[in-house]
Amino acid sequence: MSDAVVNPVTDPQAAALAVLAKSDSTMMQLTQAIATLEKDEQARTVKIGVSSSATVDLLGTYLRKHGLLAGARIEIVAGNYDDPIGDVALFQRAGVEQMVLLPFFDNVQPSFEAQLGTLSPEAVDAREAELRLRYRLAFEQARAMHTIYLGTFHRMGSAADAGGQDAVALVLARFNAALREEAAAFSNIRIIDAEDIVRAVGQVAAFDTRFYFRSKAPYTGVYMNELARRIAAASRGFGAHFYKVLALDCDNTLWGGVIGEDLMAGIKLGPYDYPGNIFWRMQHEFAALERQGILLCLCTKNNPADVDEVLREHPDMVLRDAQIVVKKINWEDKPSNLRAIARELNVGLDSIVFLDDSSFECEAVRQQLPMVKTIQVPAALPDYPRVVRELKELFLAGGIAADSRAKTEQYRQRAGAEQLKAQFESQDEYLASLELKVALSRNARASVARISELSQKSNQFNLTTRRYSVAEVEQMMDSADHAIYSLVVSDKFGPAGLTGVAVMRYDDGVAHVENFLMSCRVIGRGVETGVWPRIVADAVARACTELRAEFVPSAKNAQVADFYDRLGLPLLAETPEGVRRYAIHAADFAAPATTWIEMTYVE
Amino acid sequence: MLNEDALKQVMATMLNVDVADIGPDASMDTIANWDSLRHMNLVLALEEEFKVQIPDEDAGNITSYQLIKLVLQDLLKAQG
Repeated sequence: MSDAVVNPVTDPQAAALAVLAKSDSTMMQLTQAIATLEKDEQARTVKIGVSSSATVDLLGTYLRKHGLLAGARIEIVAGNYDDPIGDVALFQRAGVEQMVLLPFFDNVQPSFEAQLGTLSPEAVDAREAELRLRYRLAFEQARAMHTIYLGTFHRMGSAADAGGQDAVALVLARFNAALREEAAAFSNIRIIDAEDIVRAVGQVAAFDTRFYFRSKAPYTGVYMNELARRIAAASRGFGAHFYKVLALDCDNTLWGGVIGEDLMAGIKLGPYDYPGNIFWRMQHEFAALERQGILLCLCTKNNPADVDEVLREHPDMVLRDAQIVVKKINWEDKPSNLRAIARELNVGLDSIVFLDDSSFECEAVRQQLPMVKTIQVPAALPDYPRVVRELKELFLAGGIAADSRAKTEQYRQRAGAEQLKAQFESQDEYLASLELKVALSRNARASVARISELSQKSNQFNLTTRRYSVAEVEQMMDSADHAIYSLVVSDKFGPAGLTGVAVMRYDDGVAHVENFLMSCRVIGRGVETGVWPRIVADAVARACTELRAEFVPSAKNAQVADFYDRLGLPLLAETPEGVRRYAIHAADFAAPATTWIEMTYVE
Repeated sequence: MLNEDALKQVMATMLNVDVADIGPDASMDTIANWDSLRHMNLVLALEEEFKVQIPDEDAGNITSYQLIKLVLQDLLKAQG
């Protein structure tokens, strides 16, 4: 954390943000700072419903705090006491998109923890059945909700039995298993592990029993702050970021010492000896991130041959060449190299996390590329694991889709294809050599989660930047006047996965393209135009005579501003905001030829 | 000694009213914003700002400016 001096008179906003960022601000300071910041326009507004079987109003203050830190104004809609089903209806009427659901264990029945010592097994069974039913109903009613953050049960007191496994512990474990099991059927639910929050802040600091017995308000500000922080992390800063790339320095980041001076035998890295064991451990953490779909890059000032030798020969290196998707090993400045990484991977700079031990390099990146999340390796090495834990949270707190795994392999294939490209005489010849296959599907239900994820993630090739939750995708697939096309691309290097989505709406003889988006790793091969003849033919089969489409500009999608022109659609109008509207008679539509693609169609 | 201006400022902030509204006769009955939830936050904030621990039996009952002042003065005096 930088301790930049802020003048509260000249810059009240910066001063208020500094109060929010500090861990020891009092509630009064927080309340004042929140009021100051909420007077201003924020980048986003997010309406969050809070439903609980305890009094948790204090959570609102902390959700607003963490929202403002991520540039979002949070509007809280409070639910009623212990009424998840009613609250869902209430929230939907109020236009809530995200809800926090916090069942409270000791309130399952009055003083439930104390009652459990005497309650019959049948009574506990009956209570579990009732809970399952009630929460299942609430989840079902909330299918259209963008996200539900579901806190698990936790206990307030410790077991008197030193062995720990008392009646409370056993029933708690059972009820949490039941909650998780019911939640597993709903893709819009994100579990927040409340027991881990109690562990993290400490039982003594988590609860204030004064207001518990009086007003059913068990939690302290400390607990609420950590809960809100974790909700913010799980929501990726309430939609502020989506990190995909970890750019790593080498010397004193991946190993101790400087390879150019200490040489192979001198750098500190290995499972047993300090401090090499810390670097070795951190490499395992990075390798695990790579396994979960995070792209690892090197961004380091070294001689390439030195680093390559370590990657190849060092017996205790955990990371090897195969796990690194882009290597920028040179003497250029880091901001330039990070820009080059973003360009090569076709991702935004704001999806990169940069890790370096040097204050100088970190500061340079923070100043020149503030959208990159820069993290510094701590000078005290035993703190390094904690810093990397926080770094992992940036990537993983929001959840990872199965299809995101093995991304490195897919991006590498793309990089390999780039190299091949140079050897061919013409672009068409090159494209033909790729043996491109595209499988186009309509309403592919098995891919709902991936379709929604792609709509949330793609920024650059995204014609209208409309984003869809899982529930919305499902609804459109079910509705008679919508269709969702998805495409799976593969070539001779391997499959690229589900990498494109077109959302169609049919209305009175007109087929509207609600959105068309693709992952940047497959564009430039004609796929983006090649799928349209089939989509238009389908529309004609539905008695549509006209195709309409629009481009809505965003901060990132300039590269597709003329996409529909390239597809051969006549431009009808362009608004002052840059929205471009197109329309064509279906009979006149002729997409550019893409003979090099083998199209298959899956209904 | 209790700083009454600071007390008024804490109450105004936590009850979300103007500091001028916190007169000597301010209470849960005269200030519409002062509900039981805001009261809880007010007690927590008073404890933080004046570095005292308000006893459980008082926490729920100090629902006017005068009562809060009395309890805080006692607590601060006891601390010396």
